[in-house]
Amino acid sequence: MKTLFSFIKKEFTEQVRSGKLWLLFIIFILFGIMNPAIAKLTPWLLETLSDSLAESGMTVTSVTVTALDSWVQFFKNIPMGLIVFIILESSIFTKEYASGTLLLSLTKGLERYKVVVSKAFVLSALWTVYYVICFGITYLYSAYFWDNSVAQNLVFSVVIRWLFGMFVISLTVLFSVVFKTNTSVLAAVGGCVAVSYLAGFLPKIKSFVPTYLTDGNSLIYGLSESGNYTVSLIITLLLTVACVCISIPLFNKKQL
Amino acid sequence: MLRITDLYKSFGNVRVLDGLDLHVPEHSIFGFIGKNGSGKTTTMKTVLGLLKADSGTVEVAGEKVVYGNSPTNRHVGYLPDVPEFYSFMTAPEYLRFCGEITGMTNTDIKKRSGELLELVGLSGERHRIGGFSRGMKQRLGIAQALINSPRLLICDEPTSALDPVGRKEILDILTSAREKTTVIFSTHILSDVERICTDVAFLKDGKAELQGNISDVKSRYGIDEYSIETDCGDTVRALLERFPAMTHIRGKLSFRESDVCVFDVLAYISEKRLPTAKIERCEPTLESLFMEAESK
Ligand SMILES: Nc1ncnc2c1ncn2[C@@H]1O[C@H](COP(=O)(O)OP(=O)(O)OP(=O)(O)O)[C@@H](O)[C@H]1O
Ligand SMILES: [Mg+2]
Repeated sequence: MKTLFSFIKKEFTEQVRSGKLWLLFIIFILFGIMNPAIAKLTPWLLETLSDSLAESGMTVTSVTVTALDSWVQFFKNIPMGLIVFIILESSIFTKEYASGTLLLSLTKGLERYKVVVSKAFVLSALWTVYYVICFGITYLYSAYFWDNSVAQNLVFSVVIRWLFGMFVISLTVLFSVVFKTNTSVLAAVGGCVAVSYLAGFLPKIKSFVPTYLTDGNSLIYGLSESGNYTVSLIITLLLTVACVCISIPLFNKKQL
Repeated sequence: MLRITDLYKSFGNVRVLDGLDLHVPEHSIFGFIGKNGSGKTTTMKTVLGLLKADSGTVEVAGEKVVYGNSPTNRHVGYLPDVPEFYSFMTAPEYLRFCGEITGMTNTDIKKRSGELLELVGLSGERHRIGGFSRGMKQRLGIAQALINSPRLLICDEPTSALDPVGRKEILDILTSAREKTTVIFSTHILSDVERICTDVAFLKDGKAELQGNISDVKSRYGIDEYSIETDCGDTVRALLERFPAMTHIRGKLSFRESDVCVFDVLAYISEKRLPTAKIERCEPTLESLFMEAESK
């Protein structure tokens, strides 16, 4: 337990000293501020543009902005946050393979599964913290400007969106154990998400795939019920746990 | 302490280890010598369970090494050929981390890492490891290998990046470690081996040749050489004429016992009353032994 803790501590130190922690903090805070800001600025933006829009034949009717617009922005920006997060963190294993730093820790008797568990834990914890920050800022501003209660199923839609991030993280862990380079890890994770996304176009399996969880807009507008997501939710949960569980025996066999 | 029996290892169709047998007695300093690419690093990684052997067994302290997470590693300290550490840490932080993952108590870690940093000459160093020179990394490498007071210390070319003073310091550290630890180190530098090792093995074609206690190896495989020094040109001429197998370099004649009998030479010198400055028997050097073994 103590060895696990010191490896986790090492991971966090690395996040702080490499500057990644602060970079991602800033990015997620900015996203959090941008969501309500963009919604707030939309009417003003449309107004200043209305003259030129009118010239091109569009008529601008005055729009009323609600908290919903802010949450639509949230669901639009969170994938970008996730992409930046994964790109920055995808080297968490591969960097150690390339430099050989893991070899020394392992020859010191550190059990291999602790490496996988620590890194998976650190990624999950960071993702959760960044996500909560982004959510919190959006929530507070939206509550201040408008009324969050118009957004239906808000907590549920935000939680399943977070879970989707956890799923992507588990894929990153799995492929980091399988591959040696950063680019192959990113390609494989991207490939999996793309497959899930494309499968989402097939009506029959649409509601089974993990990417179905990213459809937060339908939920907050009340166009969809939380019950519709149960199957996809369970499948994603199982896949997430499975990815991490498979990673451990694979890592035990891996030649470093 | 370490026993390797009949070890085979191939990369693709290149056979690197071909039935290697190696025995490292406890409390020895074992020099592991071989050309570039002869398989020294491969052997060491197999001992650490980092590489999977094709066949054969490796035992550390009587316990079998298994591939992956070998429990035998708790007895072992390892210094890789090019040691790499977490560059964002400082040397004391890294040693603390190493101590923690080996399960040492906090007070032990503090005491031990202070001692070791002092020992390898890094105690004043407060910079991050990212800015260390290769020699400094090698010193830190030795410190981390010794942190948990291992029974077997495996060093892969520990002196390769060091200046002459640093080299001597590291060799001294290895010598002093011998009291509690068995040391095995690979090197190309035969004078280092001659200086501190008690035992040697020479790795050639995947097998260990000339293995054992240094003086045994020398007396068993070494052929005695003699040299005769003189400033008298007549002596040189007379001896070369009588014993054509002798070689002559700058007023110094030398010959091997296998070619010329030393008593014949002595008899001839005294019979002819040839003036000589010095007659000497030269200890065989490891270098001459290994050159010979290599050329076989
Ligand atoms: N991972 C690998 N894949 C393929 N071949 C390898 C691998 N590791 C080592 N080899 C080959 O095995 C042989 C032995 O390598 P090894 O590193 O053990 O030599 P060495 O004795 O340590 O050499 P040096 O003195 O240069 O350190 C070399 O011919 C090398 O090409
Ligand atoms: Mg080597």
